[in-house]
Amino acid sequence: MDYVFTILILIGLFVILASSFDLVIGHCGLISIAHPIFYAIGAYISAMLSKQSGMPIPLSILCGGVGALLASALVAVPALRVSGDYLLIASIGFQLGLIELAKHFHEIGGAGGLTNIPSFLIKDFGRESYVVLVLVLAAATVLFIRWLTQGPYGRMMTAMRDDELAFSMLGRNAIWVKVAVFAIGSGIAGIAGGLYAHYFRFLEPDQFGLLQSSAVLTMVVVGGMRTTMGPVIGAIVLQLMPQIITFFNLPPSILGPLQGLLFTGLVLFFMFVRPQGLLPAADLWAGRNRDGDAGHSRKEARS
Amino acid sequence: MFDLAVVSQILWTSFATSSYFVLFAVAFALVLKVNKVFNFAQAGVMTCGFYAAYVGVRMLNLPGYAGFMLGIAGGVAMSFVLEYFGFAVLRQRKASAMFVFIFTLIASQFIAYAVMMIFGTWPTTIFASMFWPVTLVGGIAVSAWDMPAITATVTVLAALWAFLKYSRNGQFMLAVADNADLAELYGIQKDRILMMSMLLAGVIVSIGMFLYGTRAQVQASAATELMLFAVAATILGGIGNIWGAAIAAVVLGVVQNSSILFIPSAWQGFLLFAFLFFAIVLFPSGFRLPERRNTLKRTVVAPQALTDGKGH
Repeated sequence: MDYVFTILILIGLFVILASSFDLVIGHCGLISIAHPIFYAIGAYISAMLSKQSGMPIPLSILCGGVGALLASALVAVPALRVSGDYLLIASIGFQLGLIELAKHFHEIGGAGGLTNIPSFLIKDFGRESYVVLVLVLAAATVLFIRWLTQGPYGRMMTAMRDDELAFSMLGRNAIWVKVAVFAIGSGIAGIAGGLYAHYFRFLEPDQFGLLQSSAVLTMVVVGGMRTTMGPVIGAIVLQLMPQIITFFNLPPSILGPLQGLLFTGLVLFFMFVRPQGLLPAADLWAGRNRDGDAGHSRKEARS
Repeated sequence: MFDLAVVSQILWTSFATSSYFVLFAVAFALVLKVNKVFNFAQAGVMTCGFYAAYVGVRMLNLPGYAGFMLGIAGGVAMSFVLEYFGFAVLRQRKASAMFVFIFTLIASQFIAYAVMMIFGTWPTTIFASMFWPVTLVGGIAVSAWDMPAITATVTVLAALWAFLKYSRNGQFMLAVADNADLAELYGIQKDRILMMSMLLAGVIVSIGMFLYGTRAQVQASAATELMLFAVAATILGGIGNIWGAAIAAVVLGVVQNSSILFIPSAWQGFLLFAFLFFAIVLFPSGFRLPERRNTLKRTVVAPQALTDGKGH
């Protein structure tokens, strides 16, 4: 039963991660794949605060979220000043650099990992309680992002994503919107990181590298970018699928690359065969091609 | 520690090892300039180039030059696959920059995992031994690898320069880089030129990976870090400036390797990511040297030339 609970917790955590990542990359159109590093920042801050200073765990998880939020603003403010494309490279540099940095800090466990992180709820109320907590927070995240993207703020994001120049001409500050959305998405990931740390009680820098980035990106692309339920479906499908592979009892040297191959292969497959994902967004990928062509033909017809 | 001989040795070794960094940076900058793509899939091309050479030399026991040719063939083949089945399709669909970015990243990861499945995760080299005989020149140990590597890099750079400046296809490449639509209007086949630039980059990175693989151990995921170095150099050198990227790669290579004088060697890897991050944040347009004054050449036209050339 513990195995099932763990899978459910992982599904819940990845629903939070994928949904918050979709907010950044899908709804706001910010090109970054460094989402897992904010998950890591939240996890490490929460673990260290509760372990070293004895801070109550719910508060330390919140602090983890705030830490991730601030760190993301630190990356986004200078990188977004230049151009959206640079954010991707700056964020990769930030992600891999921070992982490298974490490997050399023995105070946070170094490359060997941070162990003996205090657990939360499980001792007093059992694993079921943690499953409920994570799933409730996952549902809350999905609803919050739905509320955010379908309200006035969502329309503002859409306007900015579709035509940043026109958006700025209306007197809106595009950089501020981008930084805010990036920070909100990263803050949510940081909270998920805290939840991860206090359940698994072990953190290792390499867990939050490019494989994790590929996994979260796969969930969003496969599920359907810029939809409420797409990342949820993506997270469920892609958490359950690797479990099937584990039943083959493959050696770890094969299992890791096979999982990576599966994730990246699925993204490539969906990119070329079904770019709109399992649940297509209303306007996604119809994109510039059709609109542009249609626009041209309309103009031609008029002339 | 700051003995002149030690410093000279470190600087020389850093300079020699920057040879392959230069090739990676030049290839990345070329594709960025012509194809307008931050080609993170270059890591996949590098991986294929290395493992093709590895198969030739270590598994098929072919001589080094055959392994070298096989390495280039591997890199070029992967470049072709990426351009033909990837970039060209995405261009046709008018995919957004984000989509193309994701494709390059995921493609490089996919290739790395596929190679891990085939060759395992253990690091390896092209030749069984990484030992190169050393000669003392003025107190500096120069290995038998250094001069051929530097010569190869300089030759590649000179050939690329000559190709871009004097060959018809090279000039087409610059025209496409400048304005692809206008170039097409003038009858240049844009897709052919974009393919050519990808293949050329494939050749350059494969040579770089052969040099790297004869000096250091390589594993499937190593190319990503090497490529990130190229990204940092390209940004510092100024986007669109191939030769600026080459110079930046030499400077970064020397700085990273000679950092051992100031910081523990364990932190050298971290420096790369610091370069990358700060290159974008502080120098997004690269280092700009003061602009050269372009004074117009006064050309005095001979009175005859103003007429029909016959003095009328």
